Amino acid sequence: MEKRTTSEKIGDFFMHVILLVYSIICIYPFVLTFFVSLTSESSLIKYGYQLIPHEFSLAAYRTIFKDAAIYRSYGVTIAVTAIGTVLSLLICGLAGYALSLQRVKYRNAIAMYFYIPTVFSAGLLPWYLVCTDFLHLKDSFWALVLPMLVSTFNVFLLRNSFKTIPASLVESAEIDGCGPYRTFFQIIVPLSTPVIATVTLFIGLSYWNDWTNALWFINNENLYPLQYMLYRIQSRLQLALQTGQFGSDLPTQTYQIATLFVTIGPIILLYPFIQRYFVKGIMVGAVKG
Amino acid sequence: MKNAAGVKSNLAQKHPFLFEMKRNWLYYTMILPAMAVLFLFSYLPMPGLVIAFMDFNFVDKFHSPFVGLQNFKFYFTSNYAVRTTFNTLFINLNYLVWTTLIAVLFSIILNELRGRVFKKVYQNAMFLPYFFSSVVIGKLVTDIIFSDSYGVANQILNVLGFDSVAFSHTAAPWPWIIIGTHVWQVAGYQSIVYLASITGVDEQLYEAASLDGATRWQRIWYITLPMLLPTIFVMTLFSIGGMLRGDFANIYAIIGDNGLLYSTTDVIDTYVFRAIKTAADFGPTAAVGLYQSVVGFILVCGSNALVKLYDKDYALF
Repeated sequence: MEKRTTSEKIGDFFMHVILLVYSIICIYPFVLTFFVSLTSESSLIKYGYQLIPHEFSLAAYRTIFKDAAIYRSYGVTIAVTAIGTVLSLLICGLAGYALSLQRVKYRNAIAMYFYIPTVFSAGLLPWYLVCTDFLHLKDSFWALVLPMLVSTFNVFLLRNSFKTIPASLVESAEIDGCGPYRTFFQIIVPLSTPVIATVTLFIGLSYWNDWTNALWFINNENLYPLQYMLYRIQSRLQLALQTGQFGSDLPTQTYQIATLFVTIGPIILLYPFIQRYFVKGIMVGAVKG
Repeated sequence: MKNAAGVKSNLAQKHPFLFEMKRNWLYYTMILPAMAVLFLFSYLPMPGLVIAFMDFNFVDKFHSPFVGLQNFKFYFTSNYAVRTTFNTLFINLNYLVWTTLIAVLFSIILNELRGRVFKKVYQNAMFLPYFFSSVVIGKLVTDIIFSDSYGVANQILNVLGFDSVAFSHTAAPWPWIIIGTHVWQVAGYQSIVYLASITGVDEQLYEAASLDGATRWQRIWYITLPMLLPTIFVMTLFSIGGMLRGDFANIYAIIGDNGLLYSTTDVIDTYVFRAIKTAADFGPTAAVGLYQSVVGFILVCGSNALVKLYDKDYALF
């Protein structure tokens, strides 16, 4: 490695400072939130938000886990995430594979078909009418799964990665009498585990974090996913503030913040392990959009 | 054998489509589910844009009477048109400019720094906000940072000797809060995208530049930045098509139904959302949607053409 000049060392120092400060800005709100959720309500009202709580309390978490709602929502979110991720991966993966093959003559025209909606979309209202009036998704579990099933980005990401697999491999498998589906599941999928892991995580994360589909279509409390439940707490509070009607069941500040932490718990716990797959996936996708 | 081949090529010439289907139909069944889903959720709504020209009612639905451009007139002569269009463009343009600037800056810094461990730590930290839903981010912003009573922002203001601001009643700072939140959430992610295109740079280029006595600035200016340009172009093109589409989930998660903040933060998508949820006039709402789609489409094609003029390889299509 070449030696660094003094001016470069000074530059390095400032660059470290910039990234260090920004890193703290990125992490601090989450750390603060976590400790606020462990604060007792009375000490919160007295002292405000503090990184080190004046008075520890698990009361908020106890209230949350006493309520059946959180378990129900966890169930909904887990079901939506699991079913949605598997279906989406299967559908996008198969499409990406067929589109990656030279022998499929109309692959470019079909790629265009996938591309057009990213440039021209009908907008929210016609989409909403199709979903409610034609597909009858209102208050249906599938309203949380179907609208996000196909993402052009994921199809193209998978296609590009399948393209790097030597065509001779597919050809020889087919000469040996392997059908397209068998080739895909037994040869292509095992060879593409890194990109599939990445896409799985991308899809899983977007299902876990989705709440707008519930906002549009779900009125039934039994179908509230976690993030929507969290959203509802906030809007209930806003409504109370606006109308001035403070009911006795009004969620306390710590309760809200603890709920926030409960909904993101799994992501925080998994983050150290899955983060590198995202980085890898972006690297793959960036080679050629 | 020879005969069979003859029949085959005959079919291929006469009915290339049938020939292709016969040969590869199994492959097309692989694409079909994805095409069907896309058809239902992206193509099927498109004819629904005719509502923009109708006096839509729930009895006749798509057979409602046509009213020509009445709906467009309704929206464009209302106060909402200017306000929502301005807010949408203002927020989106700032998203684009600041996110790109900061992400490019971070990617260059990450590329310049040695020390693997430091880089890993920074990347991990910067990427973190990207993993959370807009509701979580919205709650952090409204309840933790910009809450009226205990918020971090007010604590900082107090320390600096300023009075607390009643954020929930003050419309002025919110566009910047929304923009800042967005940049905070995606800059780390995007810097990795940019870093990915820098790491594609041949190390020899840097070595040769060093041998020729290039300073760090020269290396960044003449090697790294030009390497980033294609990615910047592509990312910009992608976001330009959505210029008139609000970042609905994030903005709604932050502002919600707080009418006091609409004057500066109501974007077209949140306006449309309220119109649909309150089942207001659907005709004008669809007109707004058509306006967004058409302008978005023109913007994408226009900027793509501009990029093409500059360099064909950088264009999207």
